[in-house]
Amino acid sequence: MSLGPAARVLRLIIASTTVFRKTADARYRNVSGEGIVVRQAAGEVLVLSEVGARVLDLIQSGAPVGRLFTELAAEYDIERAILERDVMDYLQELLEAGIIESAAS
Amino acid sequence: MKFNDTLARTWRENILFSVLVELTYRCNLNCFFCYNDTALNGVPLATEQYFRFFEDLRDLGTLDLTLSGGEPMAHPEFFTLGRKARELGFLVRVKTNGHALRGKLLQRMREEVDPFILEISLHGASSETHDRQTRVPGSFARLMANLREAQALGLRLKLNAPLTVWNEREIGAMYALADALDVPLLVDPQITGRDDGDLEPLQISPSREGVTRLFELQRQRAAAIHGNRESPADDVVGDADETAPVAGAKHCGAGSSTIVVDPYGNVYPCVQWRRRVGNLHEQSIQTLWNHSGELAEVRRIAVEVKEAVDRHNTPGFAFCPGSAEHETGSPTRLYPIARLMLELRQKIPAA
Repeated sequence: MSLGPAARVLRLIIASTTVFRKTADARYRNVSGEGIVVRQAAGEVLVLSEVGARVLDLIQSGAPVGRLFTELAAEYDIERAILERDVMDYLQELLEAGIIESAAS
Repeated sequence: MKFNDTLARTWRENILFSVLVELTYRCNLNCFFCYNDTALNGVPLATEQYFRFFEDLRDLGTLDLTLSGGEPMAHPEFFTLGRKARELGFLVRVKTNGHALRGKLLQRMREEVDPFILEISLHGASSETHDRQTRVPGSFARLMANLREAQALGLRLKLNAPLTVWNEREIGAMYALADALDVPLLVDPQITGRDDGDLEPLQISPSREGVTRLFELQRQRAAAIHGNRESPADDVVGDADETAPVAGAKHCGAGSSTIVVDPYGNVYPCVQWRRRVGNLHEQSIQTLWNHSGELAEVRRIAVEVKEAVDRHNTPGFAFCPGSAEHETGSPTRLYPIARLMLELRQKIPAA
């Protein structure tokens, strides 16, 4: 997926020290490896993959983005640069979907 | 991945996904057909016990938590428990008669509990019929005003209506009322006996004509919805309704992905199936969920029930093993209203 200029700027703002949190509107559970997210106001149910659920679990534990990379790199056999790119893309999707927000906000 | 696939997995792998908590049997209405065993004795669960229970449920992966009763808002700690449920990240539903849902209490519901949905009981399209079933004069008018106030606050609503011989002629008008409010209406054609064994409520079970009228109306509405998206659907998006058909070996999620807890900590497979499988005063929910012999038996029966229901080869035939056991002594035997619904469903297929 190719990112436009605005998205590239957003990517630069997400640093390894950035901490996200789940939004109040999103209700989430890891159901035996699958992530179930309900966006309450919209009445939408989303099913996350095992990796997606793991990302959200780590976010809920308060892990900064850098630790997301480290933990996932230890769990999945994937080149670090690819992993970081994919995680950043995923964080972008979660942000746009209103499932996570910056913990600083 | 689809949500229905996940739901099927919770049934198959016994993952506790959905819990209904009857906080109290106290109520500010007096519905004739109420199934609660109001004479049941026991030690009510304390607030701290509820807190631990909710935390345990969160750790087990439960997402869907329904606060019910009696009338849940009649519990003195309703808002404390509702806030806790919200803080622990549950998708909170509240099943209420809506009678107290106004003014400051409604504001508190919005701000402190922030429920995903309020499921509110409707018994007729007129005060004459609705008040006859609730046995509280003025309850219909008050409910209509409260519904409008709740909508103005942005709360998501759903109306639940048990079909009875008293309201079956008003079903069309009830759907029209719900449409005018832009609120989904779910009509249940099964009246159940009281949990103490008293079958008196069955006296107002709907007639053959009433159930026929309902099935035909539902088929017309479904056809209209498929062709024209203006009418609210009879169910809400994201409703983890445990009776929704899910492919698999079990008839339903009772005891496999859902439980009910009464005010005294007794645990049951579901609202209708009052076969006690444990008590929270004696065991944690983790221990009970993973080691209860009674729950294992319920899960085995759910497979047997599916085989029995499938033999009728009638899609959309709603059969409740709890009602079956309550009325016939066996969870697989056809009980009177089930027999009627089977016959009518074979003539009027589900949409």
